[in-house]
Amino acid sequence: MTAITPLELVHKKGTFGDHHKKNEEDLLQISEVKYLNIIQIVHYKKSTLQLNNITVEGLKFPLESSKVSFNKQTRILWNGPKTWLVISLNENILNNIREKCDDKNFAITDISHSRAVVQIKGFQAREVLKKGSPINLNEFEKDNCAGTVFHGVTILVDLINDNPDTFNLFTLRSFGESFYHHITDAALEFGYVGV
Amino acid sequence: MLEIKCPYCGKRSQNEFSYGGDAAVKRPELGKEVSDKEWDNFVYLRKNPRGNHREFWHHVAGCRQWFKVLRDTSTHEIFKTARLDEEL
Repeated sequence: MTAITPLELVHKKGTFGDHHKKNEEDLLQISEVKYLNIIQIVHYKKSTLQLNNITVEGLKFPLESSKVSFNKQTRILWNGPKTWLVISLNENILNNIREKCDDKNFAITDISHSRAVVQIKGFQAREVLKKGSPINLNEFEKDNCAGTVFHGVTILVDLINDNPDTFNLFTLRSFGESFYHHITDAALEFGYVGV
Repeated sequence: MLEIKCPYCGKRSQNEFSYGGDAAVKRPELGKEVSDKEWDNFVYLRKNPRGNHREFWHHVAGCRQWFKVLRDTSTHEIFKTARLDEEL
């Protein structure tokens, strides 16, 4: 894993925006999520293999839109019909997936280096996302995910916690800087801490 | 805001979608002799109706699936959406 993360030269630490006379603990927190292993799994359309008996890290593949299956280290996000993103802290995840998902039935691609991941945490996190994304975030629940846009940038939203709301936002690495500026600009109104 | 019901993800904003053309056009059969006139019709000729229109749309910022939409071109009302393997 390279030491140069997509937002290393962009992300600034400190307190920004309208934070005066506000308790720092109540401010939004924006950070870059680093060193995640991100694996895309596609189950071939012509494959007749049943997914019921296949698990990755003990997790079944979610079969419904916006569902996520997860444990402490790994999250499997529904990314489309027969398409998932596995997000994991486990460095051996790629080998573990290859053991369970053979290449006759699955296309497995390591896209860890091709995504920038921004985390926004705080009670106003939904309000920040609403400024640029048309998705109905009021109906978004913990451990839901969805592909959408934020000011025209294609993103994947994963709500990992709801007390306070904590969103992991995935975008293409090349859009990372632009997306980061969109998010931090939208957060200025509430004040945020770059962590 | 125009909303489109993706058959896979449910109702989403039109911003997430991309128009993919007329769904009523049929490609000439593979392996069959195709006249210039038939090929020209397939590539260029479109009806452009005022009223109901069957269209392809792509959920490009969501599940990245193609699907069919029955839409009124004058009111933009969407009557029905369906997967490619379903009847509209």
